Amino acid sequence: MPGPSKPRLLLLLPTATYRATAFVEAARRLGVELTVASELPSTFEQAQPDRLVTLDFSDPERAAQQAAEFARRHPVAGVIGVDDDGAVVAAAIAGRLGLRGNPPAAALAARDKHVQRRELAGHGVPVPRFELHGLDEDVRAVAARVHYPCVLKPLRLAASRGVIRADDPAGFVAAFDRLRRVLEQPDVAACGDWARRFLVEDFVPGPEVALEGLVIDGRLEVLGLFDKPDPLDGPFFEETMYVTPSRLPDPAQRALARCGETAVAALGVREGPIHAELRYNARGPWLIELAARSIGGRCSAVLRFTAGEGGSGKGWASLEELIIRHAVGLPIPSLEREQYAAGVMMIPVPGEGVLREVRGIVEARAVPLVEDVSITAHPGEALVPWPEGSRYPGFIFARGETPEAVEEALRAAHGRLTFVLQ
Amino acid sequence: MSSAEIRITAEPIDTARCKFLVSEPVHEGGVRRFVSPEEANGSPLVEAIFAIPGADVSEVIVSGNLVTVVKRGAAPWQVVGKSVGGAIRAALAGARPAVAPKPAAPVAAGGVDDDTLYDRVAELFEAQVNPMVARHGGRVELIDVQDAVVMLRMAGGCQGCGMADVTLRQGIEAMLQQAVPEVKGIVDITDHTAGANPYFAAAKK
Repeated sequence: MPGPSKPRLLLLLPTATYRATAFVEAARRLGVELTVASELPSTFEQAQPDRLVTLDFSDPERAAQQAAEFARRHPVAGVIGVDDDGAVVAAAIAGRLGLRGNPPAAALAARDKHVQRRELAGHGVPVPRFELHGLDEDVRAVAARVHYPCVLKPLRLAASRGVIRADDPAGFVAAFDRLRRVLEQPDVAACGDWARRFLVEDFVPGPEVALEGLVIDGRLEVLGLFDKPDPLDGPFFEETMYVTPSRLPDPAQRALARCGETAVAALGVREGPIHAELRYNARGPWLIELAARSIGGRCSAVLRFTAGEGGSGKGWASLEELIIRHAVGLPIPSLEREQYAAGVMMIPVPGEGVLREVRGIVEARAVPLVEDVSITAHPGEALVPWPEGSRYPGFIFARGETPEAVEEALRAAHGRLTFVLQ
Repeated sequence: MSSAEIRITAEPIDTARCKFLVSEPVHEGGVRRFVSPEEANGSPLVEAIFAIPGADVSEVIVSGNLVTVVKRGAAPWQVVGKSVGGAIRAALAGARPAVAPKPAAPVAAGGVDDDTLYDRVAELFEAQVNPMVARHGGRVELIDVQDAVVMLRMAGGCQGCGMADVTLRQGIEAMLQQAVPEVKGIVDITDHTAGANPYFAAAKK
């Protein structure tokens, strides 16, 4: 059990997260003192005030003040924001406490898709042509002058919720109505003025990849480049598979990494994890989005690194261990990913309805190369397809000699699952 | 029941830990925890699991229909799990009990035996832990204390909750460290995938 001389990590963990176990267990393995901060109080907060705190995630400056008061009693060595909002709060706290972190402006730009596009375009990073519009505008007038095909996109929602492609004016009007219903849902509308606006940007053809990285003193270290074998051509953009290493030609991979580096510099990201979505076509790489946080869902389990606990070389280090080491200033033994290919499938929502049962889990787990099938939706949970939804019913993980074999295993395992909905 | 009819569901927790849910009881004498091959002597199932090549098994916990295996080896659960499944089937088909009965509780080095620890932990759970988790509709059941390691199961709002590990490590474990410092560790044997009413449901973030 960690002693008082260990560095303390302040982990900003929203209550609606998949990421708790991965980060809590990584902190335990590293022996750091852990304080979990959430936007809602834990029932143990009064009993364990040095381990659990509540911060106002909606107001980064207020959260930084609260964190400073906490740090006076319990010195903090590092801060990590797990999601987009947490990254903004972490930047404010890092600035207030003099910790390793990003400038608040960089975290804000990474969270807001319009600010991000503007900054990236201003620095010459290839991004799709974009325009900012409001829900109160004359949709038919907007539809008459935008370029097609285009994509309508909320400014902040995660997991491609509300993102819709339109190929002509009639499609634009239909997409606009659907997006408006998403943005007017109570949980979204309550988030602020940004929920009254949206981006319209050119649809960029070509394969999409995800880049996972760790920024150290302004320099991007690429931890993994994932292919997304299922084409993301719309009309909705629910993700399915991530497979690494990428099968794109080396020059394309190098160009994508350089694009990521340029984007990091353009946004002013200085420290910590990033997760970027990029596309590649005959004109080269395109930066679609960059978040100042690590990969979402349970997908991080697919990444493991060749350095073990304590740098002993035994076992594997998780992505979260690298992120924590960097945040609190512990040595990072290696940033090299293992040599196996690995992949994850975010299981597509099978339809709209209430989940009653999932059949075939044992059979799916028996598929060679499949390491786990994790059903995260619970019986009785309402499943909502994209673009209104943003929650996957589960994840499938596989590891093998080649990305082709991993992809095949993921598809085979998925084919053995049956979701019974009511 | 023949070994072919026994159904086993593997539930990996992470690369080190995996739960195996068996369609028939493996051990009905409470919870047993083994942390070395020597301790497994006399329990054919556990002996076989510790002997799986390449797994470097460090801990096995058996309770009712549940077998939890902790390993240090890099071999994936997809590979190790098949060997564990084979061991379970072979042990259940054998003439001897798969797991030997729990021996009389030894007195720990600090002079506190598991039965005494059980009583103290149970009192802490009832007086402090459960009133706290009850605010989120949860409940924590003390299953057993073995070699000063507490085994528990979460229910209600805690079962399947996205913040269950935070409650476990930052709340319950911390309280145990302070109130019952002789406790060496804590093991959650909850089947979180079966939680039907988690207090905090996870989304992609």
